[in-house]
Amino acid sequence: MSDSNQTAVTKAKQNFASGIKPIWCPGCGDFGVHAGIVKALQEIGVEKEKVAIVSGIGCSSSMPHPFSTYGVHSLHGRLLPVASGMKLANDDLTVIGTGGDGDGYGIGVGHLIHTARRNIDITYIVMNNEIYGLTTGQTSPTSLMGAKTKSTPFGSIENPENPVGIAISAGATYVARAFSGDPMHMATLIKNGILHKGFSIIDVFSPCVTFNNLNTYDWFRSRVYKLDQAGHDPSDKAKAMEKSFEAEANNWEKIPIGLFYKEEKPTYSSMDMTLQKGALINQPMPTKQQLGEIMEEYK
Amino acid sequence: MNSVSIRIAGANGDGVESSGSLMIRVAAKNGLHVFGYRGYQSIIRGGHVWYQVRIADERLNSHGEGIDILIALNQDAIKNQKSHLNDKAVVIFDPSKVKPEGIDASKYRLVGVPLLDIAIEVSGDPIMRNVVAIGSALKFVGIDLNAFNEVIKATFGRKGDKVVQSNIKAAEKGYNYNGVETVYKIKSDGKERYTMDGNTALSIGAYAAGCKFYSAYPMTPASSILHWFAAHENKGVMPKQTEDEIAAINMAIGASAAGVRSMCGTSGGGFSLMVEALGLAGILETPLVVVESQRTGPSTGLPTKTEQADLLFVMHASQGEFPRIVVAPRSTEESFDIAAEAFNLADRYQCPVIILMDLYLSEHVRSMERLNVEGVTIDRGKVVTEQKEEGRFKRYLITDDGVSPRAFPGTKGLEFIAPSDEHNEYGDLVSDAFAGLDESVEVRIQMNAKRMRKIDTMLERESVFVPHVDIEGEQYLVTFGSTTQPAIEAVELLKAKGHNFGLISFNYLMPLDAEKTAKILQGKKLINVEGNSTGQLAKVIRMATGINIERSILKSDGEAFTGELIANEAMRLIK
Ligand SMILES: Cc1ncc(C[n+]2csc(CCOP(=O)(O)OP(=O)(O)O)c2C)c(N)n1
Ligand code: SF4
Ligand SMILES: [Mg+2]
Repeated sequence: MSDSNQTAVTKAKQNFASGIKPIWCPGCGDFGVHAGIVKALQEIGVEKEKVAIVSGIGCSSSMPHPFSTYGVHSLHGRLLPVASGMKLANDDLTVIGTGGDGDGYGIGVGHLIHTARRNIDITYIVMNNEIYGLTTGQTSPTSLMGAKTKSTPFGSIENPENPVGIAISAGATYVARAFSGDPMHMATLIKNGILHKGFSIIDVFSPCVTFNNLNTYDWFRSRVYKLDQAGHDPSDKAKAMEKSFEAEANNWEKIPIGLFYKEEKPTYSSMDMTLQKGALINQPMPTKQQLGEIMEEYK
Repeated sequence: MNSVSIRIAGANGDGVESSGSLMIRVAAKNGLHVFGYRGYQSIIRGGHVWYQVRIADERLNSHGEGIDILIALNQDAIKNQKSHLNDKAVVIFDPSKVKPEGIDASKYRLVGVPLLDIAIEVSGDPIMRNVVAIGSALKFVGIDLNAFNEVIKATFGRKGDKVVQSNIKAAEKGYNYNGVETVYKIKSDGKERYTMDGNTALSIGAYAAGCKFYSAYPMTPASSILHWFAAHENKGVMPKQTEDEIAAINMAIGASAAGVRSMCGTSGGGFSLMVEALGLAGILETPLVVVESQRTGPSTGLPTKTEQADLLFVMHASQGEFPRIVVAPRSTEESFDIAAEAFNLADRYQCPVIILMDLYLSEHVRSMERLNVEGVTIDRGKVVTEQKEEGRFKRYLITDDGVSPRAFPGTKGLEFIAPSDEHNEYGDLVSDAFAGLDESVEVRIQMNAKRMRKIDTMLERESVFVPHVDIEGEQYLVTFGSTTQPAIEAVELLKAKGHNFGLISFNYLMPLDAEKTAKILQGKKLINVEGNSTGQLAKVIRMATGINIERSILKSDGEAFTGELIANEAMRLIK
């Protein structure tokens, strides 16, 4: 085998590719997110068997399949508890959650709040297309007021959710927003989210080219601007919160992307009595003495 | 068998529960058999609560119907409990607080003890009145105070000598009070016993089996399992209180998928929320133990009362078809055995195992021999750690026994995605983009058949999926789960009255070995005894075997069965 062949093999290994082709429509924003995750993992250099990608249900939730890592493609809205369970059981894993806006901000939003406040060290990437893609185009919790969808043909009359604000107030310690049409910027935010110790969420505008003809690539491209270039200080929680309301306040004329908020705080496993002794999966079986002691409690 | 039942009754906040627990431990320490059950409501103060402590010279299987000694802490206790008094029952009360209204002094023995005055005198603490009353009750059943003193020292030793001494003094005063004497003497065999409830035994079984992760959202009567894991967190387990039961089961699935033996627990309401994820465990083929402790339903129902009405629900919950095991422990000790074995079955067949408890079994306390905690064996099933074949790992390999090799994340070379959607041997989807294509149809048929084949394998390899003929007779009571215990007592009572009843009981209910079950039941005269109003066990039996049980004893008032109650109903049926 020649040298160049050798490099090709190593490179192929670092692809994190299972060989399974994503099922997305051509042009779907989720392709960019996939590429961003691959790039982030490559740059971090983590081994594929140490990665678990956990998704819910939706177009975006088919994310794990093109990966040659471990993963669970779980239920609609339930990826965060499944991912939490995996991380709590094996702290040595790099656990990444991938899902949609309906999945994470609709049916599963309760878990978002609680996973954030626990500061479990997982990275949650939400492909926010402001629509339900897989179920062929109904309104989503992030659909804009007035959005015409299959379930709101006369325009939505519900306020869109503010996931960035929810995540910050719930206690997430890394909160970012990205745009699939800006892959380099997104990949860096994902990479830093994975490297961050604690609960990271990256809300990614990932256009649905089939069912959302309002929030298109062009629509986003003409509106987004980068927080870091605007002098935002991501350690300022109050400012971050203020920024999370900005887009809606200016009627979606200007939408900030980038790192809203980052804070170093003890993670769940660093505080958990049992996990301080090592990953749960490596904890020894109860000894005869421990079992005996337990029986004596009931004498 | 000689037995005596002491019932202490008062309001929430009166220390009724701790008094009951104390008497149970004293009796067990003194070489007696004990069985305790409490009645309470879902409020924290007030209401009417009672704790029945039955003591005997042989193993007890029920808390018993009537009261031999009533400790009435307030007027409500007299009002609510007088109809339960046995002939010549003793009623202990504080005359300054309680009037024994409506209790005929010529038929019962009224014993006024100035509980409060004595409590204040010895300790200055009014709550000590319970201890004075316990002292009197112990004298009536002929238990000397040594055992009491030892239990007090073990319980309150850490709080200092003063607390210990005032307890001992309070009990002595009650023990030696004028008119207090021994009327029921139960013979002790001098053997110290262990005491615990079903949830504790179950938790110990899970712990001994290496269950390290327990997730739950608080719900009576399952909460005490969460409390047990929380109290033992320093022994290498992780209790996790979640935001709801949906998170509880999904977290347990995640932890199990990562390779840790995991369990979640709840009551019927929480189980309703878990239903979708039960199917997730089914299709991911992730081992999982789920505890469902039934209370009286539907909806929030009677949160502090018992029932056995969720059997058909847990057997059929969740869409589609997948293998599962449903098992209802028949006693406290069996809650331990079954919990320990549930993890082996879950691992061996990579499917959910539902342990069906009920409030009665979860909460009643009994004396018992030491559990064989050291004897628990562990079988993790088909776990693989290296890739033998070329190419990607086939996590869902089609096998003859239906069980595929399983790998834990972190293992090099065996990476796979476990999917909720239907999939091929690698775990690749045959759903959204490929559903209906010829190839996908074939994969669906094969994969579904593979999973369902695990049921045949279980029935072939495990001997547990049949009912037990516990006691032979001319006709049989048929029970499942916790009703089995009072039914044992009922059979004994019936036999003593010349009615030759036997007992057939079920613990493993799904899958059921239909052929063997039919063979056992065929040609026998049967009466099903169940804590529900529709005869769910009878339906299960009929579904599996075609055998129709025509007579039944059903109860859905929220109270637990007792031996007497079942025996009386059985006699009514054969008249
Ligand atoms: C409990 C449950 N309810 C409904 C569905 C149907 N369903 C599948 S995906 C989906 C919404 C998908 O939207 P989103 O999460 O935004 O993902 P996208 O397809 O847009 O990427 C719904 C409602 C389901 N699978 N499970
Ligand atoms: S429907 Fe929309 S979200 Fe789904 S794959 Fe197509 S473009 Fe992407
Ligand atoms: Mg969406």
